[in-house]
Amino acid sequence: MSSVTQIAPTPVAPVAPRGRGRRRRTRQLGWNLLGLLVLAVMVFPVYWMVATAFKPGQQILSYTPHWVPTNPTLSNFRDAIHQPFFWNAVKNSLIVVSAVVALSVVLAFLASLALAKFHFYGRKAFIVLILGVQMVPLAALIIPLYILMSRLGQIDKLTGVIAMYLTFVLPFTVWTMRGFLLGIPKELEEAAMVDGATRFGAFVRVLLPLVGPGLVATSIFAFIQAWNEFIIAYVFLHTPAKQTLMVWLASFTTLRGTDWGPLMAGATLCALPVVVFFLLVQRRIAFGLTAGAVRG
Amino acid sequence: MAQIELVHLSKVYGNDVAAVRDLNLDVAEGEFMVLVGPSGCGKTTALRMVAGLEEISSGEIRIGGKVVNELAPRDRDIAMVFQNYALYPHKSVYENLAFGLRMRKVPKAEQKERVEEIARILGLGEMLHRRPAQLSGGQRQRVAMGRAIVREPKAFLMDEPLSNLDAKLRVQMRAEIARIQQALKVTTVYVTHDQVEAMTMGHRVAVMRDGELQQVDTPQRLYDAPANLFVASFVGSPPMNLFEAVVERDDSRLVCRIGETELELPADVAAERPALANYSGRPVAVGIRPEDVREAAGWDGARLRGRILLVESLGSEQLVHIEIAATPLERSDLIDAAAQPPGPPLGVDDLERAVTLLGRFDRHLLLAPGEAVEVAIDPRLLHFFDLETGVAIPAVDVPVAAEVVS
Amino acid sequence: MASVAESEFPLASRRRRRFTRQRIGRVLAPYALLAPAATAIGVILGYPLYLLVKMSFEKYGLFELIRHKGRWIGTANYAHILHDGEFWRVLARTVVFTAVTVTLTMVLGTAMALLLLQVSRWLRVAITTGLVLVWSVPVIVAVDIWRWMVDYEFGVANWTLTKLHIGNFIRHDWFANPWTGFGVITALIVWGAIPFITITVYAGLAQVPQELLEAAAIDGAKPWAVFREVTLPLLMPIFVILTSLSIIWDFQVFQQIWVMLDFRPTSDYYTMAIYAFHQSFQISEYGLGAAIAVVMVLFMFGATLVYLRQMLRTGEVQ
Repeated sequence: MSSVTQIAPTPVAPVAPRGRGRRRRTRQLGWNLLGLLVLAVMVFPVYWMVATAFKPGQQILSYTPHWVPTNPTLSNFRDAIHQPFFWNAVKNSLIVVSAVVALSVVLAFLASLALAKFHFYGRKAFIVLILGVQMVPLAALIIPLYILMSRLGQIDKLTGVIAMYLTFVLPFTVWTMRGFLLGIPKELEEAAMVDGATRFGAFVRVLLPLVGPGLVATSIFAFIQAWNEFIIAYVFLHTPAKQTLMVWLASFTTLRGTDWGPLMAGATLCALPVVVFFLLVQRRIAFGLTAGAVRG
Repeated sequence: MAQIELVHLSKVYGNDVAAVRDLNLDVAEGEFMVLVGPSGCGKTTALRMVAGLEEISSGEIRIGGKVVNELAPRDRDIAMVFQNYALYPHKSVYENLAFGLRMRKVPKAEQKERVEEIARILGLGEMLHRRPAQLSGGQRQRVAMGRAIVREPKAFLMDEPLSNLDAKLRVQMRAEIARIQQALKVTTVYVTHDQVEAMTMGHRVAVMRDGELQQVDTPQRLYDAPANLFVASFVGSPPMNLFEAVVERDDSRLVCRIGETELELPADVAAERPALANYSGRPVAVGIRPEDVREAAGWDGARLRGRILLVESLGSEQLVHIEIAATPLERSDLIDAAAQPPGPPLGVDDLERAVTLLGRFDRHLLLAPGEAVEVAIDPRLLHFFDLETGVAIPAVDVPVAAEVVS
Repeated sequence: MASVAESEFPLASRRRRRFTRQRIGRVLAPYALLAPAATAIGVILGYPLYLLVKMSFEKYGLFELIRHKGRWIGTANYAHILHDGEFWRVLARTVVFTAVTVTLTMVLGTAMALLLLQVSRWLRVAITTGLVLVWSVPVIVAVDIWRWMVDYEFGVANWTLTKLHIGNFIRHDWFANPWTGFGVITALIVWGAIPFITITVYAGLAQVPQELLEAAAIDGAKPWAVFREVTLPLLMPIFVILTSLSIIWDFQVFQQIWVMLDFRPTSDYYTMAIYAFHQSFQISEYGLGAAIAVVMVLFMFGATLVYLRQMLRTGEVQ
């Protein structure tokens, strides 16, 4: 009997002793205040852009900042979209982005199928290659790329820019798609094949529906990359009518001095699609879809 | 329903790594055949070759007399239950069940009828519109079974279908699968690493090790007459006691010496196993099932003396670990559970080599650790094995049914 | 029964039959699937990389650009760079800038991830959303915002700093002095990079098994010791990957400086990437620019190797 009392557990790590409840609460409050401060500092620049975009001119050009746009106006936005070449830039960006998204999703899907579903000679080498090639600095590649593109007659052409964007997003999209494909247990396809589907049928009926979220995620990644890219567009697209939105935005100031209101309105417009898509991706497009098929 | 024959079946991976080596196995029509063995023994590879999911390196597989080596899985008319169930996560239970029928172009109305019938039998009627993710482990298992049954295939192939269930559910599903198989009389090949599952479910059990078939027989005969040391140590829980002994000829009698103790082998034992005489003067491996180790009171034959190390009470009986003087077996083909750890002798100081003998005793016997005991060993219940090859030294009227490969 | 006899000779009779068209197809399929992506990467990443190295050994000016052919001059470009005081200043500036920026990013990002663990749930959601918002801001937009915030006349930064009595910042031009100018650029880059670091580290922190922390606590470790002995070692792979990525990104900094300074930064603001760009596209000495770029790539190679090794070791590559 005596041994039982000895073995009886003693509370080693007291989780929340009662007397300390209040101190705990004050500490929580302290952390929360710090958290709020950090949040405010981090978000402020974005807020400041949007606020400025809605402010009338005299509130912008004021030595004492107006923290809240009290008389919001859309005139800055009107000015921004009436800037020369805005609609050209929108059109060019849309062309580039949709081409890059469509092509990269197809190419990445095919390549990732090879990497995830086949064992072949050179597979590991290719994986190392696509991981390593992402690390090559664009700023270094831009010189030989310029030479290459000028030989191919692709300077000042959207097709050249599309080809380059496509290649730059490929390593990442292949890698991500491969991850999605590996997440699908191979037994699902095998079960379909035993159940009477052909290899292709199993692919269409089982693999494709399950890899949908991966396709969406990678296409949004490609979208964001192509939409945000600046250096290549800046170096390769000379004619103002052929430039993309980011180049248009970057050269905004140089057109007629710094006009902060319309500039911030333009910046807000340029950021908007990306912000929306980013928040979409964050929703983690049902990563767990295959979880139910395996184990509990 | 059909017979499944594996003829000289082998699977060799890239660098001459053989997963399955020259496997010959006939599964009769309607038979429940269990492939059992430790992990990596090739049982799953063999099953996947039958399913057509793994290429055959050499040999032949026939289903219903027809060679299927080159047939795609879908053309073999078999159904498979996977270890992780492989339910299509984007399809409802109904669609999962109907998938195979749809692929075979069964008319819509009949699909519905058959799926609903199966769902009713398996108690899934309420969840036909749920997704697999919304089901419990046991329910998923039923859907996986249902998907196989609804197709009414020539054969069921099951790859450790119960291993993802908890212990209680597993016992329940074990009986259920066996019952379903009996009712449908569909030829079934069932893979498991759990010998209890194998013994309780199979009409016949095929024990595999390192890609080679060790023995095929009914569970009872597998237990009573294991073909070699591996099967002896693998089948049975707790496993058979195995240790070294020396067979000696004393005048006309055969004597089996275990440690210092001499067990006289009665004339009928010697007559039953004529080959045993050839081993005189040589060591052999002997085995005895725990339930055949008896308390010595009232026994007038030879006794083994030992000391009790540990008593485990199981309620209905007690498992007693007894240290006796004997030479432990050191062979790689024993599975771990049966191998004797060459630990230091605890109770008996004057013994150079000791073996822990496991005995199943009546629960009413009063036994305590540290006590010296005497156990009776009936020589008629001993199993003998060749120490070199591990093959059983056979008894004449108990012919080993299946071909033994070693 | 005939087939039984046949199967007595499994190797001889079967092996050959297997080399069907289907089999060959399965061997070739992965290569076919890979071909389009591999071609694109080869032409637009691989070949230019080769071209870059080749050009760095060539005289490649405007004349050669038109002729589409460089003139081999051996290591003259490298010799030129290495004897150029400007190059060494740029290199030192880039290294210091990278060191400061990466350190700040990693420390602040990790600190914020740890803060996320401490705050209440609603605030955690709010901060995470805020971070994603910041993360999603395109670089060029971010540059414009910061340019506006530090505007010398109406910038909100000058007003705030003056009001906080940190000094008189009225009509303060941050870019007149490269030190404060780089301060703004560093702040901009750190601000933009923190969300990625914080969210990744936080995800890593959340994955540390609770039992390990409890076991350490029961073994008598204080909170800081638990962090140092259990959490940190488990997060090490993540830190290695994040740090090497940050080094790679910050060492090649280009567009933030370029746009912030109106496409014409003075030489005080040159980093490796800008210096290479300037030599090639503004002075049309493409060979020299290529040599500088090669040196830049070599400098980043260490970080790349660390990154690759960690990725391969994390077991993601099989």
